[in-house]
Amino acid sequence: MEGLLFNVNNGYIEGIVRGYRNSLLTGQNYSNLTQCETIDDLKLQLGPAYGDFLASLPPNPSTSTLAARTTDKLISEFRYVRANAVGSLAKFMDYLTYGYMIDNVALLITGTLHERDTRELLDRCHPLGWFETMPVLCVATNIEELYNSVLIETPLAPYFKGSLSHQDLDELNIEIVRNTLYKNYLEDFHNFVNTDPDMAGTPTSEVMTEMLEFEADRRAINITLNSFGTELTKADRKKLYPNFGRLYPEGTFMLSRAEDIEGVRLAVEGVNDYKTYFDATGMGQGSGTGAGNMSGGAGGEGKSLEDMFYQKEMEISKGAFTRQFTYAIVYAWVKLREQEIRNITWIAECIAQNQKERIGNYISVF
Amino acid sequence: MSGAGNREAVFPTRQSLGLMKSKLKGAQTGHDLLKRKSEALTKRFREITRRIDEAKRKMGRVMQIAAFSLAEVTYAVGGDIGYQVQESAKSARFRIRTKQENVSGVFLPAFESFTTEGNNDFGLTGLGKGGQQVQRCRETYARAVETLVELASLQTAFVILDEVIKVVNRRVNAIEHVIIPRTENTIKYINSELDELDREEFFRLKKVQNKKQRDNAQQDAEMLAKREAAAEQEKQESDKENAESTPDILGEQEDEDVIF
Repeated sequence: MEGLLFNVNNGYIEGIVRGYRNSLLTGQNYSNLTQCETIDDLKLQLGPAYGDFLASLPPNPSTSTLAARTTDKLISEFRYVRANAVGSLAKFMDYLTYGYMIDNVALLITGTLHERDTRELLDRCHPLGWFETMPVLCVATNIEELYNSVLIETPLAPYFKGSLSHQDLDELNIEIVRNTLYKNYLEDFHNFVNTDPDMAGTPTSEVMTEMLEFEADRRAINITLNSFGTELTKADRKKLYPNFGRLYPEGTFMLSRAEDIEGVRLAVEGVNDYKTYFDATGMGQGSGTGAGNMSGGAGGEGKSLEDMFYQKEMEISKGAFTRQFTYAIVYAWVKLREQEIRNITWIAECIAQNQKERIGNYISVF
Repeated sequence: MSGAGNREAVFPTRQSLGLMKSKLKGAQTGHDLLKRKSEALTKRFREITRRIDEAKRKMGRVMQIAAFSLAEVTYAVGGDIGYQVQESAKSARFRIRTKQENVSGVFLPAFESFTTEGNNDFGLTGLGKGGQQVQRCRETYARAVETLVELASLQTAFVILDEVIKVVNRRVNAIEHVIIPRTENTIKYINSELDELDREEFFRLKKVQNKKQRDNAQQDAEMLAKREAAAEQEKQESDKENAESTPDILGEQEDEDVIF
């Protein structure tokens, strides 16, 4: 049924995004990239995919400018798609940007808290998370003003409402604010794809639910793992877990009570995927040699949990393209593209620092 | 350089000779001591140079690992966390204290690093994703900073020692090539002057003696002449008297007792 009228409004977008998907780097491209000796070689290899965006780079650019340029391409493409989107797809894409907005707002709040000149912070904000009233945030000089006059007007206001008030902003750690917002955002997004009349019951809601649930679980697990040894209390931690996902509710409840990696492993036991990751990374087998992410440059060829999650995310995103008539491909494309930028940065970093042995750590799904 | 030009302005007296001799002795002792100090410092200096070399190599490795772990953070977090980390850092976790080490009278500052426990300013950074990489990166950089601190204390010691060794060597050289030769020259000068004086004195004495002898001889001669003249006169008179009265030898004069 959804296929009948989908193309009236969204066919063009879908075509465009599928086209973009085909321009993503493939495994063959990546193996070419890893053969490069210098950043210039890398630039040359990236030529077909990123041509005009890399053209203005000086010879031997730094990895960060390389990353910035590749991000520029994603952004210009995203803006193009967004400009052509109508109706619920436009709204869907707005939702997509809220995640970046949260990062930007967190950044600005940090700046305001420390009474920095917020103007210079605007340059550091992620362009995807740009919203019209964002420059106005710079006007605010204290947190209360920021909250009352500015944040209230942003699309993020509902996420503040109910869980955060302006008193919280100055004493809570900004990371907790950010994660609370993100939790509310994920829940709202989840709710949106499942209740919006255009999307409920379509492949969009199906695919997006899978993706968002995965995202929620990943956040829950990561927050738990990262909070060990910090002053974050269990009750506070529980508040940061999104209230949906494959782990919800038993898994999240157990996560909230976990005290070590073993506890986390027990909590995710119910979901086979995550259990396999834990087993594969060798975590939870007693000693727990740190949370084992990429092991600090000091060897350790095995994949880390975070790598596994990225891998899984990419697989889900790749899977999204097998479906027709769905908005989810936009989300999947953005995620794939972000991973690609990360991969390029990683490879460039490895080449620049002459650490070729770890260069294969990128994640390629095509 | 040599000879009269390079000596101290002293009067060539026995007293100043003694003074100079004790000065020379002092200078030689001082020279020996300073030389030994300089050798000790140089030994230390070489050791520090070697350790700096090691530390620099180590720093290269550690910094590379640290930079790479930062790349990992960028990969895992997928964005720039620099600003956030800068803002949430409130108090220094990694601190250093200094202490002093005494090497042959030279005070070398040594920096000692330590971490303040329980200071976890940005423990929550990357809570959503990449937190572990952030923490690991922090540890790696803490190690890198440790190496830097070690290197810094070595470099400071290096600079100070270098300075001190230069000063000591200058002193050693000054004593060896200026003070000692000059003192020796002075002593030589004083000795030669004293010898000269001695010779003059001797010559003078001789002269005096000669003159005295001459005078004596003259006097003697005069005396002799006088005596002769007197004797002549006497003779003439006695001849005259003898002619008038020959004393009775056996007569009125008593013979002296002849005692054997």
